[in-house]
Amino acid sequence: MKPSAFDYERPADLDGLIALTRREDLFVKMLAGGQSLGPMLNLRLVQPDLLVDITAIPELKRVEETADAVILGACVTHADIEDGRVPDATGGALPRVACGIAYRAVRNRGTIGGSLVHADPAADWISCLAAIDAEAMILGPSGRRAIPIDEFMTGVFQVALEPGELVEAVRIPRLSLGARWGFHKISRKTGEMAQAIGAILHDPARDVLRAVIGATESVPIVFSGAAPLFSGSPGSGLAKAFDASAAVRALEDSGITDAVDRQLHLVALKRAIDQAARP
Amino acid sequence: MKRINITVNGKAVSASVEPRMQLADFLRESLNLTGTHLGCEHGVCGACTLLVDGTPIRSCITLAVACEGARVTTVEGLDEDLIAGELRAAFSREHALQCGYCTPGMLISARDTVMRMPDANERDIRVAMSGNLCRCTGYVGIVRAIQSVITERKAKGLSSPPSPRAEFGPAGSGRARPTAVGAVAAAPAAARAARRPGPAGAADRAPEARRVAEPGVGKPQTTLHESFTVDYPRAKVWAFFGRLGDVATCLPGTSLLGTPTDEHVETRIRIKVGPIVSEFDGAADVVRDASSFSGVIRGSAHDARSRSATRGEIQYVLIEDENGAATRVEVDVGFTLTGPLAQFSRSSIVHDIAWRMTDAFARNLRARLNRGNGSARADSTAGASISEINAAPLILSVIWNRIKTFFRSLLGR
Amino acid sequence: MSNQGVGACALRKEDDRLLRGRGQFVADLRLAGMMDVAFVRSPLAHAKILGIEIPAEHRGGVFTSEDLTGVKPIRAVSGLPGFKVSVQPALAEGKIRHVGELVAMCVADTRAAAEDIAAAVRLDLKELPAVHDMLQGRAAGAPLLHEAWGDNIFLETNVEIDIAKALDAPIRVTREIRTARQCMAPLEGRGVVAHWDRRLEQLVIYSAAQMPHIVRTGLSECLGLDHGNIRVVSPDVGGGFGYKGILLPEEVALAWLAMRCGHPVRWIEDRREHLTAGANCREHHYVITGYAGRDGRLLGIDCEATVDSGAYSSYPFSACLEAAQVASILPGPYDFPAYRCRTYSVATNKCPILPYRGVARTGVCFALELVLDAIARETGLEPHEVRLRNLVRPEQMPFDNITKKHFDSGDYPEALRRAIAAIDLPAVRARQREGARDGRLIGVGTAVYCEQAAHGTSVYAGWGIPMVPGYEQATARLTPDGGLELRVGVHSHGQSMETTLAQVAHEILGIDFAKINVVHGDTAITPYSTGTWGSRSMVMAGGAVSRACREIARRAAEIGSWLLKTETEVVVRNGKVIGPSGSVTLEEVARIWYLHPQDLPADVNPGGLEATMGYKPARDSGTFSYAAHAAMVAVDPETGGVEILDYVIAEDGGKLVNPMVVDGQIYGGVAQGIGTALYEEMPFDSSGQPLASTLADYLLPGPTEVPAPRIIHMETLSPYTEFGVKGIGEGGAIAPPAAITNAINDALGALGPAEVLQSPATPRRILEAIAKARQRPPAGAAQGSAGERA
Repeated sequence: MKPSAFDYERPADLDGLIALTRREDLFVKMLAGGQSLGPMLNLRLVQPDLLVDITAIPELKRVEETADAVILGACVTHADIEDGRVPDATGGALPRVACGIAYRAVRNRGTIGGSLVHADPAADWISCLAAIDAEAMILGPSGRRAIPIDEFMTGVFQVALEPGELVEAVRIPRLSLGARWGFHKISRKTGEMAQAIGAILHDPARDVLRAVIGATESVPIVFSGAAPLFSGSPGSGLAKAFDASAAVRALEDSGITDAVDRQLHLVALKRAIDQAARP
Repeated sequence: MKRINITVNGKAVSASVEPRMQLADFLRESLNLTGTHLGCEHGVCGACTLLVDGTPIRSCITLAVACEGARVTTVEGLDEDLIAGELRAAFSREHALQCGYCTPGMLISARDTVMRMPDANERDIRVAMSGNLCRCTGYVGIVRAIQSVITERKAKGLSSPPSPRAEFGPAGSGRARPTAVGAVAAAPAAARAARRPGPAGAADRAPEARRVAEPGVGKPQTTLHESFTVDYPRAKVWAFFGRLGDVATCLPGTSLLGTPTDEHVETRIRIKVGPIVSEFDGAADVVRDASSFSGVIRGSAHDARSRSATRGEIQYVLIEDENGAATRVEVDVGFTLTGPLAQFSRSSIVHDIAWRMTDAFARNLRARLNRGNGSARADSTAGASISEINAAPLILSVIWNRIKTFFRSLLGR
Repeated sequence: MSNQGVGACALRKEDDRLLRGRGQFVADLRLAGMMDVAFVRSPLAHAKILGIEIPAEHRGGVFTSEDLTGVKPIRAVSGLPGFKVSVQPALAEGKIRHVGELVAMCVADTRAAAEDIAAAVRLDLKELPAVHDMLQGRAAGAPLLHEAWGDNIFLETNVEIDIAKALDAPIRVTREIRTARQCMAPLEGRGVVAHWDRRLEQLVIYSAAQMPHIVRTGLSECLGLDHGNIRVVSPDVGGGFGYKGILLPEEVALAWLAMRCGHPVRWIEDRREHLTAGANCREHHYVITGYAGRDGRLLGIDCEATVDSGAYSSYPFSACLEAAQVASILPGPYDFPAYRCRTYSVATNKCPILPYRGVARTGVCFALELVLDAIARETGLEPHEVRLRNLVRPEQMPFDNITKKHFDSGDYPEALRRAIAAIDLPAVRARQREGARDGRLIGVGTAVYCEQAAHGTSVYAGWGIPMVPGYEQATARLTPDGGLELRVGVHSHGQSMETTLAQVAHEILGIDFAKINVVHGDTAITPYSTGTWGSRSMVMAGGAVSRACREIARRAAEIGSWLLKTETEVVVRNGKVIGPSGSVTLEEVARIWYLHPQDLPADVNPGGLEATMGYKPARDSGTFSYAAHAAMVAVDPETGGVEILDYVIAEDGGKLVNPMVVDGQIYGGVAQGIGTALYEEMPFDSSGQPLASTLADYLLPGPTEVPAPRIIHMETLSPYTEFGVKGIGEGGAIAPPAAITNAINDALGALGPAEVLQSPATPRRILEAIAKARQRPPAGAAQGSAGERA
């Protein structure tokens, strides 16, 4: 199948971009690497009037390091992260997650910002970045704001962007040296959509213990204070202390009633925790 | 049409293309470079993989216009390439191809693997090649061929050129100059109208959008249940439910087409799920039974854009509560989706959306029943009317869920 | 043996062009003035067409069944008693019977523009209740697809041999077994380019087809054109596996359109069309009982098999190929005395079922081999031991089994013994007892199958279908420069026939392999043939090529002995006619025949150096290649994930013309078999909607899902064929679902009586089987810690 007809513009700067996305008479869709949008266009599931290619805007490819974070422009690709072309402040977590996204040829064009905005629950970044407590840095007609990733996705393919707003960059907090993380994805075959994702970050120096149950076919379940997932002190060893009952309740509350689905989510979380606990 | 300037297999090409044209189609149809094959057109099979600025990409999901200024290399452009030459010999020796359809994309990914992963073992090669499907060979010869080239190069001490990528961003986007902004032509009016009809008269709509599908076609695929209580005696609520137009427009995103009667209503339901926008035009009829204070609204609707359709029914029954001062409304929704929108395996997404719509429908009903009159239940959530299943209402929906869950656990219901 | 003849691992002649992107597939053709076609397809499975609304601006570019006057529907009939005929119009008339059925044909300059038009056409459909499942379709009161039939049964068959004698057997296991509906998914879909050649007054159809001559015959019937006015060309074909073995309604529609429009038209199937609207395959349901003694000897098999045939019988024939064959091939290579099998071919609101690699055999092997493992569990014997006690023995060869299948040769128990030795069963059992350190469960499974191939007239005549294979023909032509052209009516869709048929010719004539050119895929220049299907091409076309080459050799020898001035017998070898003293090259013989006829003997055979010869094996009931597959798997009881740790194939394909190519066929077949076993499934909902419209929904195994199997060859020659070759193209795909599922069930045995009885064995099915086993009283000590939270 071929896409339906649309116009295409590639603005030079953010002002030009915002001007285009504010066109209310048109169905405007932003295009970064197009690796999720491309199939939807081809299948005519998405039929925009205007595609605005954001990849010629220098600010969106900018990479910046601060004392407590690395800021990755929205158009940084999975391969940029996988190959270590951008700085990593996560002890290898991001590059490892990146190399498990789809396939290499897709990673060469797919972007971190595009993946977040697309908000497919089965995608890797939304769960991984929620665990790491990253922020979406948003630019819109009324200026800039930041939203924690765990509040960014609001539903299947739905995010908390107002009309005219875009994700400019992702702010990734710098993990302490002693931080432990785990990310486990269960999928039917290499590169395919996740059936379940478990992610955990334990950064005692910053007093952070976060966990995520992802790929739920809706928003990921985020435990921003994940202590209830553990009986006793997690310091005694995350894997040993893991107590599934809080996770089971969270899955039930999220309406995940299917026994097999629930089991896969629990196993993914448990394995992420095991991974974080491994020396 | 947009003009693009790219380099293809070392030759400068300037051409006028439709923005919707993917790079693979541009190469195949406009430049007659048919070595790049299309196998799925959704980025899974890898047959269309080629090099853009020296980096493998999927040309079936990369727009030609987005490759402005880029250097494109197809399999036809690898005749003199050293590593590709070694791979061709190895592919033939190891019987790494049968029908040859996946081969061009396979070679491009194989070359990338050899260059990027000079120490790859068999497992590494398999993972690196996992984005290229072959239906003939079982991958045995392909993996062996790549392994043998890696081994030979290592033995000869041949190093691979360094990674061609230095800048960030989607491969191929690096040299693209911005287009002039402000000159966005509106989409051709006719095309746009066809795709996004405004509130149209009955005559503009397909006949089936005005007719309610007959019952008995089959059991609904998805069923959902909602229940809520309003502070009105049953007779009053019954009267409200008699106004079909008012009830129908409680479905989020629903607007009336034409004037409803108490038995028949014609509507448009706009559903926006991320970038997917559907407009279901349809009709509904109601059958009410005053003796049991129940009714069945049966409807069907069609989204012309996706050629998808839905049919379903809403059953309601009104039960007296609080000694007649209030009424409990039990709503059962059952529906079936057909057509391309239904033909995906991730049905839980549809279920998620349906649940949100049903939930919003129930809340809108309650809000509309409670509106004004200083009802005790006219709290903030009940008062919010949901106009469309869209980002903002869904946040409300999520909050509402949490509130409900909270109360359920509190009250043990 | 030279390095170019029969038995050589000659490198492929096809490779260079394909490796340089210079292959020519249908979508690569460029004809002046060519326009693109997109179809309006039915979004519903079962509906009445009340109206088709074409916007005014597109009239003239959209065609419906009303326009196709004079075009006859596709009727793929059978003379089998009780068979009911489906009538499939090229474009739907009045009623729609499956999602994706063609409703209207839209023409434009580009495919995208044609899709725009298709999107603007409005359908007014009245949905009807759908038959979404074969068992539902069989039940009383089911909606009817073809009203005149009175039910939905294409055909019902029954075979019964002494079943009463088995009924009181001490061991009796009954299983309900299902195989999923699949799509063949060649990487290249179907595609058609059609144009009218005004000079030759000929309709020229380029189509990705396995059987171009049959397509021509079918088109002739539907269009009312003489064969002489139709030419079908099948260029490079990107995989077929059965999918490209039918006449398509799209071919009929585009043929009509090309004649009507006067310019070339093209339709290239996209993946969505393939998955949702093209043909399907493999969906079987079995209720099967195995009767056995306590020693594991099979005493009888009783089976009821239902096959979901889809809405129509595809041309030349598809509707009952699977079900009706189930009855005759279910016994496989096992020798037992009592049998009953009833089969149903059920029409449903799905696209037609087609024979896919291993036609019906994959399903019956799955059903029977799962039952054999169940018998092994009942008797406490090793599964392979049960098989060894029942397999046909070499001293019984040739052997007629209970359904009168004639096994030509082979040593089946030896193949199984070699497979078991290679997988090292004692080591696997030891590892199993220890348990894997990572908590996964180890299992081993086997399956044995036989592959009847290249079966001919005597088998198919009884079916009464449009296509009964007879003699296969080949034309051999020595060219003036001493090269050889071979023309065959079979067609390669990846089988390497340009190479292997050249090897056969080289074996006989000794002409340099590089100078032998195989021409196929064009009805204008090749002999009539039913094409490439049923693992027949090497047996049939290889045989025909050898006959034609022998005839060329005979004629060249006549000329050669005249040139050598000898009366004694000459031989043709190494590209020469060799006499008692001296030789003359075939090149010289050819040069004289074509360019210096004055040097020829007066009584020379006027047929010259071109010969068409026909071939049939000495007995045409089919060659029987076979194999024993053994799989070792690790099952993750927490996720239901399966990893294939080792895979062994002990296989007997008779004489191997090119062992490298044969291995390639086996590897590829096994990969597809792994897809069937673990991944591939086209689910439908209760309104008949297919639920896997992309390759993200329909999972094809990739490089990380397929291991490198180990192949052990046995070469028992067929007594009936040239060189003793046997057909081997399909075999690899037959046994993996059975072997892998048996291995999974072997692994699950550690948790209790858990069995997966449905393919593919998805994580969900495995986890559900585990959960079910755990609901029962604990079967033994071995209880894993995993999955208990579910």
